[in-house]
Amino acid sequence: MANDLAKVVQKKTGIGSPLLDIEDLKVYYNTVNGVSKAVDGVNLSLKRGEILGIAGESGCGKSTLTTALLRLTQPPGYIAGGSILFHTAEEQAPLDLLELGGEALRAVRWRHLSYLPQGSMNALNPVLRIKEQFLDVMLEHSKIGKREALKMIPTLLAQVNLEPYVINMYPHELSGGMKQRVVLAMAIALNSDLVVADEPTTALDVHVQRIIIQMLADLRDSLGMTVILVTHDMAVHAQLADRVAVMYAGGIVEVGDVHQIFKTPKHPYTRGLINSIPRIGGERIRLDGIGGNTPSPRNWPSGCRFHPRCQHVMPVCKQEVPPLLQVVHRHSLDGEHQPLVACHLYSQPGLGGNHDDE
Amino acid sequence: MDRFLLAILSLWRSSRKVQVGIVIMVFFILLALLHTPIAALIGHGTDPLEISVNAPWQQPNIQHWLGTDRYGRDVLAMTVTGLTASLEVGVIAGLLSTVIGTVVAFVAGYMGGKVDSFLSSFTDVFLVVPSFPLLITLAAYTNNVNLVSVAVLLAVFSWPFAARTIRAQVLSLRSRPYVELAKVTRMNAFEIIFQELLPNLLPFIGVGFANAALGSIFALVGLEVIGLGPGNVLDLGLMLNWSQAWGALSLGAWAIFVAPVVVLALLFFSVNLINIGLEEVYNPRLRKTAGA
Amino acid sequence: MMTSENNLAMQDVTQIFRGAAMRSIGGELRAVDNLSLNLNANPPQIVSLVGQSGSGKSTLARIILGLPRPTEGSVTYCGKNIYALSGKEYETYRRDVQPVFQDPYGIFNPFYRVDRVFWTAIKKFKLTSSSRQGLARIEESLHAVDLRPEDVLNRYPHQLSGGQRQRVMLARIHLLQPKFIIADEPVSMLDAAVRVLFLNLLIDFTQKYGMTTLFITHDLSTAYYVGGEIRVISRGKIVESGSVEKVLIHPSHPYTQMLLASVPVPDPDARWQEKARIASEEEVILVEKPEIEAIG
Repeated sequence: MANDLAKVVQKKTGIGSPLLDIEDLKVYYNTVNGVSKAVDGVNLSLKRGEILGIAGESGCGKSTLTTALLRLTQPPGYIAGGSILFHTAEEQAPLDLLELGGEALRAVRWRHLSYLPQGSMNALNPVLRIKEQFLDVMLEHSKIGKREALKMIPTLLAQVNLEPYVINMYPHELSGGMKQRVVLAMAIALNSDLVVADEPTTALDVHVQRIIIQMLADLRDSLGMTVILVTHDMAVHAQLADRVAVMYAGGIVEVGDVHQIFKTPKHPYTRGLINSIPRIGGERIRLDGIGGNTPSPRNWPSGCRFHPRCQHVMPVCKQEVPPLLQVVHRHSLDGEHQPLVACHLYSQPGLGGNHDDE
Repeated sequence: MDRFLLAILSLWRSSRKVQVGIVIMVFFILLALLHTPIAALIGHGTDPLEISVNAPWQQPNIQHWLGTDRYGRDVLAMTVTGLTASLEVGVIAGLLSTVIGTVVAFVAGYMGGKVDSFLSSFTDVFLVVPSFPLLITLAAYTNNVNLVSVAVLLAVFSWPFAARTIRAQVLSLRSRPYVELAKVTRMNAFEIIFQELLPNLLPFIGVGFANAALGSIFALVGLEVIGLGPGNVLDLGLMLNWSQAWGALSLGAWAIFVAPVVVLALLFFSVNLINIGLEEVYNPRLRKTAGA
Repeated sequence: MMTSENNLAMQDVTQIFRGAAMRSIGGELRAVDNLSLNLNANPPQIVSLVGQSGSGKSTLARIILGLPRPTEGSVTYCGKNIYALSGKEYETYRRDVQPVFQDPYGIFNPFYRVDRVFWTAIKKFKLTSSSRQGLARIEESLHAVDLRPEDVLNRYPHQLSGGQRQRVMLARIHLLQPKFIIADEPVSMLDAAVRVLFLNLLIDFTQKYGMTTLFITHDLSTAYYVGGEIRVISRGKIVESGSVEKVLIHPSHPYTQMLLASVPVPDPDARWQEKARIASEEEVILVEKPEIEAIG
């Protein structure tokens, strides 16, 4: 399958170079009871060719973050600050996605940035057959001609495990899993730089989940596409992500390599999250979960937003918001791959950066 | 009880439109409730509606803010009194049709099956039959019409609308988990309808009532303008009829025509405002700011 | 006459739905197909019923709770058909079999305060004689699920979190002390961290209070976590049963094997090596949200 994909579209170059830099992004909502700060100062960097997972539970703001990234924020939501810098392959200065409008935004959509929504959501036009959807998208957003596009479609569908007869069907005749795969095929066709997958396996039948997960991995491996994977399901991150960013209460609390997040989570919230995942097989041990309740975006706790639920809470936690800093292992010189944590447990006064004593 | 007040208060706070609508309606209701002392005030002790006491066809002046009619009756007093009668008809017809409609809706929606099919078809018949021509025919045949019988007549034609909306809501609520929990906790059908479903449907029933009442008022006005209403009760529709019959406009007595029209328009406007405001509150996508 | 053994069972139950939307699949849907299930109160145990959406598991839960009458087959409690019980026997059945539903947002009537679910139960089952006694028992039940009475009583449902609401349901069960708990996807709509806390409570309830639980879920790992017995359901039939260790670690039925192969393992070192393909007959094309009417 890997070789077939590469026949259809060109594999991307520039693996490892920066693709996206989100700086201090704030997305707020106007409510009758005050301002809801759903995303409150998010910093995130993405490199080409990696799958970055964004993990977090309901109310953490990850859906708001996704819609802001795709410029789909609707009133009463609004961008309250920050920037999203997108580095395109052509050697230009990075684009601030938040500054784009109209034509420029349409040019970026699909060509550079495509969206894979939740399984049962309709990203597909209900009155067009699948063939026409493909043509619509391909002719609009790329330089592929109509005849060439028509030839590509069956191959693209085969890559996502769909039979050719799907070409003439309407979206409502397809199951959720099939629609997911059609949208994936479109992303492949256009060779988008970045695919934002929002809960790609939720609401799908379980046997389709594995296919979707494997396909997303394929996009990265054979085509060098970059994927932002947003899901609350930690097992999906374990299977798919290269790095994971853990989100809580509107901000990022930890970013690290997927192995590090699962084996040696640093932030108490991440630890609680990992300690909430039941597994099949092995000794049956009691999991502890995380006590307390999710805070409300209209009224975030002071200082570190996790402090009401944290077992290691200290006085400084209630007063100061811990910044997201690199944890530097004493014996490692390479700062590149060190995890980022926002927690006072790891900051010592008088020294730059965080230190991990474990 | 406090829950009701809190709910109304939060409704009040949530939408400017609802506020304006409620203010207008409350103003008219107060006027209607106080129509006797107001009439006395206007008449300065004498009955402003007595025939041939004051000079007829006066233009608006200090003594008669809206002038007088053909028989010298103060137009403002007529408007206030007429408003009362119209509202009375509206309330009675509204109440009656709401009660009938609600009962039918609950029985049909909760029981489902054949009962629902039968009742829904029954409702549909009333919806399909053109009500106004039928009303005219019925009104033409009844000789001694008083307020209450007119109200009953009007109710007969307005209950299906409420029934439809409420039935749809009952259908959506009856499969909620808390209804299943109630069944498992051995609540019987009556208890479930009255304790579980009814409280959650009060907003719909309230709005249904307001719409039915307004619809009835306008139906009556329609009848009276043609001359088929109860001619012995002074209400807004009758004023319109008189203004037409006497050629008031050509005589320059605009108030007797304009006053009822303005009042009716404002009533209609206020109920619509409340409707739209409530819809914005309940349908988040229409809102400019998000609710709680 | 009820037998002395506390036993809740379904025998050869079939549930057929018919409706306009079913025309595309032949006019009728066999949500439950000739299924038998047996739950014993002695010894108290957890039986997980695992299936995907459309497998019939939720229909089964409602049938066992006596909500729709099955098209064919019977549901018995202590040996007697639940639709042929005397008044007293019916009351016992209703008290001894209690549900936990999936949607924490739908289980409370938004018009009333949360404590109403307790008082309704107390009133309907005549649990106490005075309101002071009632309040004491309510507080005791709340403590049993790690909730503080002052956080919960006098609050309205929208003021509590999803996890708190599900725990209030469990507290209500503690109040009633049933023999059987029918839990239909009780944690599917809860966050992972809260989920585990609730499951711990459910496990404790089974052991401490002797309540046999039918735990219905689509999530195999939660079924493994609660332990006990497991039944795998697909298209209205039970395809495999046994202990959780046997079925989930050494599955024999191909459907169970497929389920296990598809569940992502939460361990980055244990990624799938082989690529799976979908058999095209697995694709079922359905019209969304049919308006269905049960027969019978």
